[in-house]
Amino acid sequence: MKKIILSAVALLVAANVAQASEQIHIVGSSTVYPFSSYVAEELGATTKFKTPVVESTGSGGGMKLFCAGNGMDTPDITNASRRMKAKEYKKCQENGVKYITEVVVGYDGIALAQSKDTAPLNLTRKQILLAVAAEVPNKEGTALIANPYHFWNEIDASLPHRKITFYGPPTSSGTRDAFEDLTMKAVAKKMDVYTKLYKADKKANKKYKKYHEVRQDGVYVPSGENDNLIVQKLTKDADALGIFGYSYLAENSDRIAAATVKGIAPSPEAVQDGSYKLSRSLYFYIKKSHMDKVPGMKEYIKLFTSEQMIGDDGACTDIGLIALPEEMRAKYRTQAASLTNLKPEDLKK
Amino acid sequence: MIYSDLFFWLFGGLIPLGITAYMVARSKALGTEQDGSRLHSLPGYYGWYAVIWLAMPAMLSGLLFSFIHMFGVFSIPAPMLLGTMFTIGGLGLWYGLSHIKADFRAREKVEKVTTGLLIVSASISILTTLGIVLSVVFESINFFQVISFWDFITGTKWEPDTAFLIGAGRDTAGMAPPAFGAVPIFAGTFMITTIAMFVAVPVGLFSAIYMSEYASHAARGRLKPMLEILAGIPTVVYGFFAAITISPMIVNAAHALGLQADYTNALAPGLIMGVMIIPFVSSLSDDVIKAVPQGLRDGSMALGTTKAETIRHIVLPAAMPGIVAAFLLATSRAIGETMIVVMAAGLRPNLTANPLEGITTVTVKIVEALTGDQEFDSAFTQSAFALGFVLLLITLILNIVSNIVVRKFKQRYD
Amino acid sequence: MTTENFQADARKRKRDRADKRFKFYGFAAIVFALAFLVFFFIDIISKGLPAFQQAEIQVEVHYNAATMKNYNKAVDKKYKRLVSKTWLRLVPNQMRDKPELIGEDRLEWVLAENRVDQFLKGHEGHRLKSKHQKLVKQMLDEGKVRLVFNTGFFSKGDSKLPENAGILASAIGSVLVLLLTMLFAVPIGVMTAIYLEEFAPDNRLTQIIEVNINNLAAIPSILYGLLGLAIFINFMGVPRSSALVGGLTLALMTLPVIIIAARAALRAVPDSIREAAYGLGASNLQVVWHHVLPLAMPGILTGSIIGLAQAMGETAPLLIVGMMAYIPEAPGSIFEATTVLPAQIYTWSSESLRAFEERTAAGIMVLLAVLLSLNAIAVKFRNRSENTW
Repeated sequence: MKKIILSAVALLVAANVAQASEQIHIVGSSTVYPFSSYVAEELGATTKFKTPVVESTGSGGGMKLFCAGNGMDTPDITNASRRMKAKEYKKCQENGVKYITEVVVGYDGIALAQSKDTAPLNLTRKQILLAVAAEVPNKEGTALIANPYHFWNEIDASLPHRKITFYGPPTSSGTRDAFEDLTMKAVAKKMDVYTKLYKADKKANKKYKKYHEVRQDGVYVPSGENDNLIVQKLTKDADALGIFGYSYLAENSDRIAAATVKGIAPSPEAVQDGSYKLSRSLYFYIKKSHMDKVPGMKEYIKLFTSEQMIGDDGACTDIGLIALPEEMRAKYRTQAASLTNLKPEDLKK
Repeated sequence: MIYSDLFFWLFGGLIPLGITAYMVARSKALGTEQDGSRLHSLPGYYGWYAVIWLAMPAMLSGLLFSFIHMFGVFSIPAPMLLGTMFTIGGLGLWYGLSHIKADFRAREKVEKVTTGLLIVSASISILTTLGIVLSVVFESINFFQVISFWDFITGTKWEPDTAFLIGAGRDTAGMAPPAFGAVPIFAGTFMITTIAMFVAVPVGLFSAIYMSEYASHAARGRLKPMLEILAGIPTVVYGFFAAITISPMIVNAAHALGLQADYTNALAPGLIMGVMIIPFVSSLSDDVIKAVPQGLRDGSMALGTTKAETIRHIVLPAAMPGIVAAFLLATSRAIGETMIVVMAAGLRPNLTANPLEGITTVTVKIVEALTGDQEFDSAFTQSAFALGFVLLLITLILNIVSNIVVRKFKQRYD
Repeated sequence: MTTENFQADARKRKRDRADKRFKFYGFAAIVFALAFLVFFFIDIISKGLPAFQQAEIQVEVHYNAATMKNYNKAVDKKYKRLVSKTWLRLVPNQMRDKPELIGEDRLEWVLAENRVDQFLKGHEGHRLKSKHQKLVKQMLDEGKVRLVFNTGFFSKGDSKLPENAGILASAIGSVLVLLLTMLFAVPIGVMTAIYLEEFAPDNRLTQIIEVNINNLAAIPSILYGLLGLAIFINFMGVPRSSALVGGLTLALMTLPVIIIAARAALRAVPDSIREAAYGLGASNLQVVWHHVLPLAMPGILTGSIIGLAQAMGETAPLLIVGMMAYIPEAPGSIFEATTVLPAQIYTWSSESLRAFEERTAAGIMVLLAVLLSLNAIAVKFRNRSENTW
């Protein structure tokens, strides 16, 4: 018994002597997470560097951690599914994170998918908002009422008489964040019904500035993180729509089809030229002060911006990233290699 | 990172040092013996005495320093700390060695320290309970300062979105305040537990009756371990099985009957959980049924009843308190079960009586709140501790009640 | 008279039938439980077995300067989609290690993409595009596709691509965590049991400890996770997801199991042995250490093994202390992020690619095999120790 304990302790000690070198620490958006962690895996597998640790904390959470300071316990890189906000940039500056490089890696699209056996819906973003928002304008468009719609043709007579059901991501998901940003907020911020409430009382009615509250009466079903189950549900429930990241639609094109938005179906081309509206750019931000302290940073950045990863045929593109047009890729590659500093005026554009 | 090294160098260093100290002290003791006087204790005890004097001061000072470090009073660079600790250990050893003489009562001292260690070990279980209670209560108090306890216990709306968004650093722009009404969540737990008990009680009880009253001794010896395999299968495996195999089966079956079933229905995790806790019911019931005195059975049979009648009217009523205790324990096991529901049940709080709908449970919500990378002090995270607090209360009450019942039962036949 | 007899007979027959029925219910309950067990094992094995085979395809590999620059050029474009990226990406390194390869074109068996693998195994939802299906079928006819034993499953860590995902890193993590659990829980558990059985005075404190241990055994495992998070991680600053925090948490969880088993084992040692030792002048501790403990050892070991087996299969508290992160490499120390087998099973089960499902089931098979053998060993010990008195 004593011998066992002794040898166990010796083993643990020996295991610990082989000390870990510093490894890259990446935080941020859950949308960028799969791509980022794929690149991390490849870096670990093909070089002598340790596999970087990638955590998905959400874009906002990532920024908060990233801008907390220059200490070695702060992240080296943060991923984001939106651009850094001027406010966040200021926070970074205040905490001494002076030099930041911004890189765009590609696009992300949200797809509304349904069973292959039903006629595909053609929607506008406004119709989507009216279907999922907790409060919608009344018939006259003068005031807000609790969402009364249960069939699509109640929203617009040109739509079929089909039950409204959404299987979508829960609040904790990056896809949910994207869905709210790209459909609800984008439309609601231009609708007087919402914004006039905000203007009337900016404090109490702040939520109406960019309204994005999802109804909770069972029409929108938050369906966990397991997208496979959503696909199964869609094949069974012919009326329902599922909300996915674009990659997942592409993966399952044999079983589900996309609803079109303003007549345009999601595709890499439609995203690149901006005609498919439910899409956005994906970013990562580099903390320059860590470049020479953390081994492998340069290689990671080079790998992530390489054609092998984010090109038309790259590994990330294979798992669902929508590639940037070629000249944009070249631009960001040089930007990343030369570590161009992000300037506050860039963020106002 | 440097502090973690410290930890290892300390322990890694103490072991060889300890062995040396043991050797030195032992030979010193044997050396004193040559003067003609006999040693009071066996030589090994002198060795252990020296080891104690080396390790105790070193470890205690290490503990003290880490506490100081933890509370942020001040921190000392690691190598210096390590040096200090070994110096203190060395001083202790020197002091200990100076005692060693032939008539020194080393065994008594060593035994005293050992007994002390035994008491310290025994108190760790108390500390664990204290730790669980404190960790749960502290965060719950923070939570209940934001959300009223009454709203939490009686509210029927669980809409923590805003709290989640605040915690994740997202834009919440004055959205509706979060609602933490736990009723739908507890209703979900209650439903799944009920389904599980519907499986586990009849199967478990009848298995116990069969094993204790009908099966031969050899058959019982083989059946019992086989049933207990069911309790030994990891819950993550049951979860996978419920989600991948059972849930689609239920959806298909419901579809064939013209019913709508969710893939996250309550039935699949409930049934599987029921199977998992069969052994809890059967083993305990088996024990209590066996404890019913044979005389009761013989008396009943002598009156001409059949075996089934004896069991139903005599044995079971006599064993009832113990069986009830088994049910209570199994219930508490089902309430606290996590992985099966995390993998097979849904995330949506849903107040419904239809087991084919997706529902969620207390444990699912705890996992959901704590596995996202949340800031620790957001209300969303703290809600997990509040749920844990209620969970702790329920399981403790169930356990205490069942223990009392079992004790009463035992007293009756002892 | 006869009618009465007849009625009595009928009643008797009815009662006999009820008697038989009752026995049948008991039998049916057992059969149900065992049938479930059989169904369960068959289901898991049939799902997991295919994962022990892995598709390989034979293609011409170009070792040249273009490949060095972009590894996608290593095989002809036609086959690029069939070859696993995890193999392709290593080609440049291979050339660096063996410069003599450069300039050569070689026919080699290489790891196939997971979609090819799933297609070959005939799984629905393989998602292989139809033009590639044709190509694979054609290659199959030419004998350029084969299924071989999946050594990678046992020699690699986690990966985002299922064909490259294995259980080695998580298995090492499990061993490390279990070692720590054992190191903390077994000595403390046995010492507690010795104290309570052999030394404790029968007072309030002892009773409180006893009741407390009983309650601890019934506390849901997830609450130990909350304890680990609040006390070990947030208060004591033990690194999140590390083997240390996992081991400590599981140790506290296993402690009551070990204490209860060890107490039972100690209690089973007859007093005559203690009295004999006292009679020879042994001290309290000597009696326990030299006589009682060795005799109780098989029972204590049984309890410890059962407790550790439970800890090995436990997932919920480990999720709470952060051990479900994506960790492809085995930990270098107990302070580094670690994953364990059940946590690996959990993360795989929530992966979307179809090929992960069979890997999940295969991981389960490995876990179950280890756990069942641990339990079998425990039962062996128990049987041996029961025969002594």
